[in-house]
Parts: sequence; structure tokens; C-alpha cells
Amino acid sequence: MLFVVLTNHQKLSKLPIANLQQLVKLTMILDIESGIRCPKIDMHCHVWLMDGWEQSADHLVASGDMLGITEYWCSSVIQQGILAPFEDVPPHNDTILRAMARHPKRIRGWCFLIPGHFQDAIDEAERCLDAGMIGIKLYNQYRIDDPVLHPILELASERRVPILQHAGYPVPEHRASQPLISHGIHFSEASEKYPDAILVHAHIGGGGDWEHTVREMRQASPNVYIDVSGSNLDDGQVEYAVSELGVERVLFGTDGTMAGSVGKVLDADLTEDEREHIFWTNAERILAQQGATPTEPRTS
Amino acid sequence: MLIDVNAWLGTWPFRSLRDNTPDTLVARLDRSGIDKAVVSYIEAAFHRHPQSANERLARDVEPHGDRLIPVGTINPLSPHWEDDLTSCIDLGMKGIRLFPQYHNYQTDGAESRSVVQACAQCNLPVFIPHRLEDTRQHHWMDPGQSVDLAQIANLIAAVPDAAIIIPNARPLARSPLWMREDLRDLNWYFDLSLAEIHYGLHKSTNAMKDLGYLIEEGGAGHILFGTHLPFSYAGPALVKLAILPVDEETLEDIKYRTAAKLLNL
Repeated sequence: MLFVVLTNHQKLSKLPIANLQQLVKLTMILDIESGIRCPKIDMHCHVWLMDGWEQSADHLVASGDMLGITEYWCSSVIQQGILAPFEDVPPHNDTILRAMARHPKRIRGWCFLIPGHFQDAIDEAERCLDAGMIGIKLYNQYRIDDPVLHPILELASERRVPILQHAGYPVPEHRASQPLISHGIHFSEASEKYPDAILVHAHIGGGGDWEHTVREMRQASPNVYIDVSGSNLDDGQVEYAVSELGVERVLFGTDGTMAGSVGKVLDADLTEDEREHIFWTNAERILAQQGATPTEPRTS
Repeated sequence: MLIDVNAWLGTWPFRSLRDNTPDTLVARLDRSGIDKAVVSYIEAAFHRHPQSANERLARDVEPHGDRLIPVGTINPLSPHWEDDLTSCIDLGMKGIRLFPQYHNYQTDGAESRSVVQACAQCNLPVFIPHRLEDTRQHHWMDPGQSVDLAQIANLIAAVPDAAIIIPNARPLARSPLWMREDLRDLNWYFDLSLAEIHYGLHKSTNAMKDLGYLIEEGGAGHILFGTHLPFSYAGPALVKLAILPVDEETLEDIKYRTAAKLLNL
């Protein structure tokens, strides 16, 4: 959000255009207060299966209230690549369904799946989507281009729901703990086979060479997105994603880095219209594909 | 008034940075509503003998003396580093930065303690950045290490008269530093560049916040405003400043008063 301070207006009309543009650029000031109030859809966050999930969900909503976040797309996932038995999965999704019921205007759900559960995974996806969840969340049990995902990609394409996949390109010593983490090239390959599937590369700032993974998605389908979440706040990150993929493919998410993710979008060298695409319009468009709308209309 | 205790000039070898010259950084500060910023040359972290970078820093910030606050870099493994410290003071440096992970010494070892003691005697604050870049993306030629906060805690305990600033640290409230109650009244400081306030990834209700807990437990006096420009966006620290759960007096301390006192401005 930029606030343009113009002084000495009567002389501006006499300045050459180039000088005027330079003057305007030099006098632009970040307007953090207005930026915070700007409505936002956080499409990447979590409510965990744990004792006190209710308190955690309440805390999530209250924290986002301070930052203009009107709704949160949440999942509870099994991490560390663990190939847990199917019976371990529904309790995670049930936690999200309960959080949705607790905050019906604020929390929406991603259905977590382990694709190797085959028909059980499909049945679980159908159960959760029918109960009101708006997408499918995958972690690092399989890469997104693994053939085991094909039934899930087909289901997501048919129902026009997005798939949010944990992703990044960390250095080898950090990759060792999650050898099947997906990065850009895997999204490109999956989208080549399923160009209609709505795929979201999670957290550009989630840790790893973000330039590498974004570059790998140059050839991906226009239905492949990336979200801005993660604890890495490198300057230029958001603009890089916009320049490589186009502003319509960059989504606002936090994944726990709530103020940081708001701040990086506000500080990015973008127009107000581009910022609105990231904070709101792109997520709204994804919802529209399944016939849904934001829980609250955008108010300003 | 807003003082950024965590800014840089110069070249990062592994990624192009914007706004990394004195003129462009000052323009970025203007855009961000920041009045003054503490700066060092990034290259000094890679130089075996960083004094030439310190001298260049003093020359280059001179035209922006009202905006850029120079902080020198000392490598305690460089022979006669004490002379460099004296030169830094003569050049008008307002503090000293240490890079244990780049100059390859223990954060709580004898070399660090010697420099920190000397700085304490000269009333200069010591900056030890927790990291320069996210280690999960480090280039193979970069050490890719964060400074161990437990070692910084040992260093603070060893030189209790020193003022030590640890920019870029996260998380804070459950860090080895804050958990050591014997250090809570000493002069050590974090900045707002990376730590979250109200919400973070958590798997228990005891870990939902970070800076929020630190403030609730009486630690607001250890917080300074810092951005990590131009490595990082300034926006995240500015957003946190806008929503910090502190009273107006404490907020003014965080914005500039504590930093001005530490830097002898």
C-alpha cells in the first residue's frame, strides 16, 4: 500500500513528465496502516490436531483480525514424510471440520490426504469436500508428479478444487529430511499431464532456493500457482514470482508467518491492483471455479 | 523517529540485492518511513582482514551522515585487531559487528570475549547477526550456519557489562537466551526483522506466539526495530511495529530511544 505525498501542486503541471514520475516515485511512502486494513484471504494456514485445537483456532482468528485477514484456509497434516496408516488421517480432517463449525465465517478447510492410500484417500477427499472443504492438501509423502497422485488430480480437476502441495527447493542437507519434497519442476510435469488441475506450490518463503523453484514453473499450466507464505522474507521475492508467473498466479498465505507475509506483499514493488490480486482476487477466482465465494464480501 | 538497527550496504555474492548503495538505501529508508539505519558493508563478513571495508564504509556514508550510522566489523583472528577497533572509533563507528560463522571462531570463545570486553570498555554495542541469509537456501560456498543462541547467552554471561544486539533471530520467547533467567536484566537485544508476534506454526497451546510471550513475560525492553534491509523487505518489521502489544512509552523505546542510547547518538 503506497501513499503518495504531493507537495507544491501548482508547480507540478509545469514539470516534464519524466521529472514528475521521478518526483512521485521519490515521494511514495509505505502506508502500513492502510495496508493492514486491506481485506485478505489467507489460503495457507493450519489448525493442528492437538489438545487445545479450539484455543489454537480462536487464536488464529484473533491474530489475523489485527491484519485484515477475513478468512483462513486451514489444514492439519502428518509431516516428516511419514507414511501413516489411513486410520491416522481422518482425525486430522475431523479437526478441521470442527474448526470450520466453530468459526463458519472465518475458517475453511483443506482435506489432508496421503495419496498411497488409493481408494481410501479418494473416499476421504469426497467425504471432506462434501462436508464443505474447499481443497486438498498434500505434504511430502509423495511428489506431486508421482503417478500415485493421478486419481487425486483427476478428482480435483473434476470437482474444480485446488491442491495445495508442500514444496520448496532446500539445500541438500535440509532436503535429506524430506527427500520427496516437490519443487517447481514437479508442478510443471504434473500440470503437463493434468493442465486443468489447480495446483498450488506452497510457501515461496518456506525455505530453499525460491528463485530456482519459481524458474522451474515457467512452462507450467496457467492453473499452477504459488503462495507467498513462509519465514523467509527476502526482498524481491514477491516481485520475482509475479514477473515469472504473472500476478494472477500468486496467492496470499502465511503458514504461521502472519505479519511477515502481510509485510512482504505491502512492501513489494507492485501496483495497488496487483496487490489486490494477491490478497484477494486470485483466491476469489479459485473459489468461483467450484461455485463458492469468500465467506464475507470484500469491504474496501 | 525510527532507527533501524539492522541494515547493510554492499554486495551479497549469491543473489543480487536492490537498494544496497548509500543513495539507494537512503531512498528506500525514505519510502519506508525510517529516519536512520545502522549499516555495515556485507563484504566485511567475507574479508579475512575487514579494516579496508570499514574505511570504505566511513567514506561512503559520510555524505549521508544524518541517515546512515556506520558500524565497523572486527575479525578477532586478524592480527592486531585492537588497532582496527581504535581506527573504527576514530572513524566515527557507533558499534562493532562480529561474524563468528564467517570468520570461523566460537561465539562464546576467548576471541569473541576479548572483542566484546574491549567494546564494553569503549561503550560500543556489539552486533552479532543470527544469520545473514536463510540457511535452507545457502550457496555451497556460503557456510550456511546460524549463530548458536546458547553460545551468545554464554558470551553475555561472560561479559555482563557489554551491550549485545542479535538481529535476525527467530524464535525468541523460547530461545536459550530468554530462558536463562540470570541474563534477563542484562543489555542484550533482538530486532523485529524475523520474529513473529501473535502467531506462529505451533503444535501446542504453549507455543502459539513468539514476541507476544516475550512481551507478556516482561521482555519488551530487549526489542529494537530492525529490518535487515536490503536482504529482506522492510514491510514485515513495519507491520509488526504497527501491531506490537506494548504501551506508547515502550513503543517509543523500541522505535528509537533504546537504540539511540546504545549507539550514543
